[in-house]
Amino acid sequence: MSYLVLDGVAKRFGKDEVLKDASLSIEKNEMVAIFGPSGVGKTVLLRLISGVAPPDAGDIRVGGESVLGTSPEVRETGVAFQNFALYPHMNAFENIASPLRARGADEAEVKRKVQETGELLKIAHVLHHLPRQLSNGQKQRTALGRALVRRPKIILLDDPLRNVDAKLRYEMRLELPRLLKRFESTVLYVTQDYKEAMALGERVAVLFDGRFQQVDHPAAVYRSPRHVEIARLFGDPTINLYPIRPTKGEGGHEVTVLGQTLRLKGRAGLDRPCLIGIRPEDVHVEQEPSEGSFPVELDAVTPLNVRTVLFLRTKEREEVFATCSESRGERFGRDHRQVHARVDFEKALLFDEATGERLAA
Amino acid sequence: MHPAIRVVLLTLIGLFFLFPIVWVFLMSFQTNETILRIPPSLVFEPTLQNYTALISGRLETGAGVLELAFMQNLWNSFVLSFCSVALSLLLGVPAAYAFARFKFFGSEDIAFTLLSFRFAPALLVLLPLNLYFQDIGLNDTYIGLIWVYQLITLPLILWIVRGYFEDISPDIENAYRVDGHSWFSTFMKISIPLALPGIAAAALLSFIFAWNNFVFALILASADKQPVTVGALAFVTASGIQYGQIAAAVVLSILPTLALALYAQRYLVEGLSLGAVKG
Amino acid sequence: MATLTLDRVSKIYGHGGKDALKAVNDVNMAIDDGEIIGLLGSSGCGKTSTLRMIAGFEGVTEGDVKIGDRVVNRLSPAQRNVAMAFEGYALYPPLTIRDNIAFGFSRDRLKKAEVDARVKRIADLLEINDILERYPPTISGGQQQRASLARALVRNADLYLLDEPMGQLEPRLRAILRARIKEWIIERRLTTIIVTHDQTEALALCDRIAVMEAGVLLQLATPHELKDRPANLFVASFIGEPPMNVFKARVERDGGVARLIAGDEAGHDAFGIELPLSGAGHALGNRHEVHLGIRPHLVAIGGGGALRGQVVSNQWLGDQSHIGIDLGGATLIAVTDGALDVPAGSEAPLTLPLESIHLFDAESGVALMHGLEPAAPGVRAAA
Repeated sequence: MSYLVLDGVAKRFGKDEVLKDASLSIEKNEMVAIFGPSGVGKTVLLRLISGVAPPDAGDIRVGGESVLGTSPEVRETGVAFQNFALYPHMNAFENIASPLRARGADEAEVKRKVQETGELLKIAHVLHHLPRQLSNGQKQRTALGRALVRRPKIILLDDPLRNVDAKLRYEMRLELPRLLKRFESTVLYVTQDYKEAMALGERVAVLFDGRFQQVDHPAAVYRSPRHVEIARLFGDPTINLYPIRPTKGEGGHEVTVLGQTLRLKGRAGLDRPCLIGIRPEDVHVEQEPSEGSFPVELDAVTPLNVRTVLFLRTKEREEVFATCSESRGERFGRDHRQVHARVDFEKALLFDEATGERLAA
Repeated sequence: MHPAIRVVLLTLIGLFFLFPIVWVFLMSFQTNETILRIPPSLVFEPTLQNYTALISGRLETGAGVLELAFMQNLWNSFVLSFCSVALSLLLGVPAAYAFARFKFFGSEDIAFTLLSFRFAPALLVLLPLNLYFQDIGLNDTYIGLIWVYQLITLPLILWIVRGYFEDISPDIENAYRVDGHSWFSTFMKISIPLALPGIAAAALLSFIFAWNNFVFALILASADKQPVTVGALAFVTASGIQYGQIAAAVVLSILPTLALALYAQRYLVEGLSLGAVKG
Repeated sequence: MATLTLDRVSKIYGHGGKDALKAVNDVNMAIDDGEIIGLLGSSGCGKTSTLRMIAGFEGVTEGDVKIGDRVVNRLSPAQRNVAMAFEGYALYPPLTIRDNIAFGFSRDRLKKAEVDARVKRIADLLEINDILERYPPTISGGQQQRASLARALVRNADLYLLDEPMGQLEPRLRAILRARIKEWIIERRLTTIIVTHDQTEALALCDRIAVMEAGVLLQLATPHELKDRPANLFVASFIGEPPMNVFKARVERDGGVARLIAGDEAGHDAFGIELPLSGAGHALGNRHEVHLGIRPHLVAIGGGGALRGQVVSNQWLGDQSHIGIDLGGATLIAVTDGALDVPAGSEAPLTLPLESIHLFDAESGVALMHGLEPAAPGVRAAA
């Protein structure tokens, strides 16, 4: 049986129904990333689990028992808040020691455990500093230390890498999973960066419209999103979407997309208006025409980290976004030019236009 | 602007605002005769007789010797102001926290009602109150006065401190709860320490307001419970107004609050501006 | 449209006083007609002061700002004919979004149909068609930012100044709007200056980027050059995401070969690579210590790699993978296109190709060598 269970949890603030029917089951020692755009109630969810706010409906169970009605101090959760929420009048040591002191640990034990945690997080040398004397990275580690020091059964991390610089973010992305494994805790990691969710979550739980829309392994969410909105949330630039009107032909349905006619075989649900989704990395751009390619206008080249985004337009002025590796991207100059695109239609995703649900392959 | 011009202008402005206090200060070292000279002059022979009269409690006037209770008045002022502020803190800080953190039905209305006590014309409230106090024996008691003084101090503390509590991120309190601390311990160890500058400013400000109050004590207190503000009336005697003694009394009664204000100036300005923005 | 020249421009706050703060220190820049320039740096680096001097909101303490051939130091912002998108949007609250955008070119006295057409064109581009009749306070921050961008971009001006133009945009729209805006700017040959702290934005949009730190212009170069030939360690670790792997390394010489021994965080030896002392190795001089850097996507995993590392994590992100590798105690990030089958815990052979290695002076941080070529001399160190 799952260790942490959210069962139909709902929460509203005034007229705003933030969570409607959120259900999620998490195994012991699992790390699940909760992902959704800003304002979908991710933080609210953590509040409900940690007990600082009660849900309006539904149940939260830990180890099979409902924790509703218990106050936050008795729930075994460690929380790292997005804004760190360090106690400004206590030094880093006392901040981290707080959960231990709350349980009446003796001074020697407090000292040993805080020191140990400080060393693990590489902040042992600044433990005597007040929060305002710490760098952003050190603050973030102190907040993390406070969440971890008691080795809680459940660790809730609210977008902890949002307010730190890029270098630290990448370091922590590598370090966090290793660190958390040592604590044998069940971890909920909230983020609004899909890359972080994919990098850190053993499973990713996609939250919007008050519900968990899909809970699955990162690869599954990326490759087989249940809904067109999920497809749009994962990927940068976002997936190319085009409405299509499949027509029944011999041996399957035929569709026209980007001026290309293709035959879709053995797919159900093609008798209605659909959306076809093409990931930018599945559009290959070449200078010379090749088998299956079609001419497009290259309107802008915008590097994106180690990739390059190519902004293309077809003859019909339809926009197509493609990506390629940085070194290939540098070969396309600055100005408009004619190039050739080849789309890997095999990997395209199909959605019902009305409901947004993906049509299974 | 040229530095020299700036200095001149600042001096002029400073003189303009400080003049009454400087004048009073000078008056306190003069006899009534030199004070009432026309035209007034800055040249006089300083005398300490006003201060000795206040401290010894004996005022010799042309019409005879007058007994003064000035030192008693000073003590009364201190007792009344200090106890009023202490009581207001005890009641007002938790209330301010409640108003800051919990939005319950009618919470804004209640908070505003408490503030509106400040708007009521004091005399309108005092005359009936005087009758009630006489009935229940609170007339001319410290307790009765301190109770009425809450009208001055409580709204001030409530509204300033509330702004401070609202400024503390709830996440900090939540974090402390999640660490395993009780609600009360969170209030005492997190909320109060973080709002301390505001609490100090509010306390200081309401102390000054209480100290300067005149009309409550005038109506509700007799000679032995009177604060200095009322006690100063004794200098308006049958043989004339004792300007010298009044000036000395003013100087002596300003001193405690002035010392306090100078000491806590930083808190005061901070607390006031925050109260203005948040309140 | 015009050129822009900054000739030894400085901005000193509290000039002459003892608290004088040199916000911009002796900056030179020559910007071509139609060029897109980024001013990139963290907060307080002087980029915003520079922009404000160009716009005319801030006086120039020393030096000259020239738009085209005229020195504009003493001209008011209105006389400089520049269009600006403000970080705080600065939309007029009593006007609809449409009127806000049209306000930008009200001086041009166009016919109503022409105004509508112009507004529609930019609104399509920035996806704000459906909110044209709304008022600024009723729309989201991202929408306000797009409206403010639209107002700047539709104007006819000599110079376009965009201050943190995309910071609040919805993540999903960012990459798409960047591409469309870049196309718009290039097509119209608008001379544009973009101030940003986000290197991704700068790299995506700009022809050349001025990296600033503590009021000093560290390097003004194309994105390609910034990545391939960073002038110093600061630029190198600022540009690129994930950032460049940097290790402190000890130099040992053995005949014609230098051995660079990189240390982990605690300073213990982690791994070593060899570099011929002839040719590029000259750049080492007689240094005993350098910083060794390599970009994550140039780390070659697999094959007959000379080094062996322990895979710590393998994070697939859809179109790329980030692989964390423990190399004798030092941690290295490698990036590959697509997925790579090296699970966490496994051992992987890898190479740090010499042609992708950067070396920096251990103290000043000045670049010594890029690939196997010596770095250009005379570039300034990070302050």
